[in-house]
Amino acid sequence: MNGALFVAKTGLSAQDTALRVVSNNLANLGTDGFKRDRAVFEDLVYQIKRQPGAQSAEGTELPSGIQLGTGVRTAGTVKLFTQGTLNVTDQNLDIAIEGRGFFQIAQPSGETAYSRSGRFQLNSSGQIVNSQGYLLEPQITVPADTTSISIGRDGTVSVTQGDSADASQIGQLVLGDFVNPSGLQAIGGNMYQETVSSGAVSTGNPDSDAFGSTIQGALENSNVNSVEELVNMISTQRAFEMNSKVISTVDQMLSFVTQNL
Amino acid sequence: MDKLLYLSMTGATQTMLAQTAHANNLANANTTGFKSDMAQARAMAVIGEGHQSRVYAMTERPATDLSSGVNQHTGRELDVAVQDHGWIAVQSANGSEAYTRAGELHVDAVGQLRTGTGLPVIGEGGPIELPPSSKIEIAGDGTITVRVQGSQANELAVVDRIKLVNPDPQTLIKGLDGLLRVKGGAAAAIDPLVKLESGHLETSNVNAVSELTAMIGLSRRFEMNIKMMKSAEENAAAAAKVLQDVG
Repeated sequence: MNGALFVAKTGLSAQDTALRVVSNNLANLGTDGFKRDRAVFEDLVYQIKRQPGAQSAEGTELPSGIQLGTGVRTAGTVKLFTQGTLNVTDQNLDIAIEGRGFFQIAQPSGETAYSRSGRFQLNSSGQIVNSQGYLLEPQITVPADTTSISIGRDGTVSVTQGDSADASQIGQLVLGDFVNPSGLQAIGGNMYQETVSSGAVSTGNPDSDAFGSTIQGALENSNVNSVEELVNMISTQRAFEMNSKVISTVDQMLSFVTQNL
Repeated sequence: MDKLLYLSMTGATQTMLAQTAHANNLANANTTGFKSDMAQARAMAVIGEGHQSRVYAMTERPATDLSSGVNQHTGRELDVAVQDHGWIAVQSANGSEAYTRAGELHVDAVGQLRTGTGLPVIGEGGPIELPPSSKIEIAGDGTITVRVQGSQANELAVVDRIKLVNPDPQTLIKGLDGLLRVKGGAAAAIDPLVKLESGHLETSNVNAVSELTAMIGLSRRFEMNIKMMKSAEENAAAAAKVLQDVG
């Protein structure tokens, strides 16, 4: 069967993957702390049909052979951890990270997940939880008679209670960071899990070392650039069309054979 | 049997090979840093006694189109595009040095700088290893500056420099893994004039219009070969009929 058909098929499936990545990015345009993905393509192996430099007759050699490519494949998707813009919400427990680092979230399974989404709330016992209700790690419990909460750039959480005007510190936010954040496994719900590829987590207080600072009353927007995604969508669609054109051309060639011979 | 039939058959087969080459270019129309392959047909005369009427067609890849693609802005600090001419040196799967223009770099779990397809990027002394860092900057000449985790903003360290080369395009050939190598296997020398642009990626240099036009041309050429086969069949049928009538 004609090789061009199968090559074009790999092109179609790669563009299909690219479109899926684009559509997921666009779907998460308004998701707090979402980091966009990008599909990485590589050309597949080449097959030598005729070796360059082989002898075509005694004393003469072929100046160039023929090596045919077998198409394209998706080498993987990469999460792009660029900073999203900040959206000031003036909510006490909305926290954005400006710079590197992830909030640590205790999953019900006992494992720690990492998130850039800082939309926190209190549960019935006054503990700080994320929008799924999972506990922030290390746990911080806000006393019942709290009148105001303030979170510093360095992650200190302090409250004023009752009639007292003096603030007292009740906890400290601790961020986690990775050598290769792109290697984290996205598990949905704005959360990521550590993998071999991401490296081990290193923890530290916000605004210290390389960690970013925590900003109270703001949320980090998704870093998806809608214009860029739409442009990607156009180029993906056109590439898809061209590959399907290859398939129809090859189909015409083969049907010509069956009709005429 | 009529030799015409076999000549047309090889013509059609070789046209299909060229079609595959163009299909591969189109399949990689969105692959970062991809360089399109050319396909051309060569006339191969069968040399022997008597009248040399038989000239077979043979498709071959004379070269790879090494012209630059378009630089696309991505804003990611580890995306690099080579300006104008030049190549990024990487270590291929078998350990040899190869060259690519696909600069979607990332750092793996042990701190090694790799391309998007996972090949280690070569620096001044072999693959580049980076310390755990909070900020990585790649300068125009390939110098990598990092802010090591835990250090102050004014304590930047120069770690290594990406090996950038610019060998004579005539000596470059594309290998089976799609990477380019210098003919003979020698490593190319560092060229200080090659410049990188951080935050950009180079698109594929496939010209979709010319590829599609070539496909149309090849498709018609293929049909002509089939027509010749049909003619051969008709000739044979006519000859057989004449002989039948005589009988």
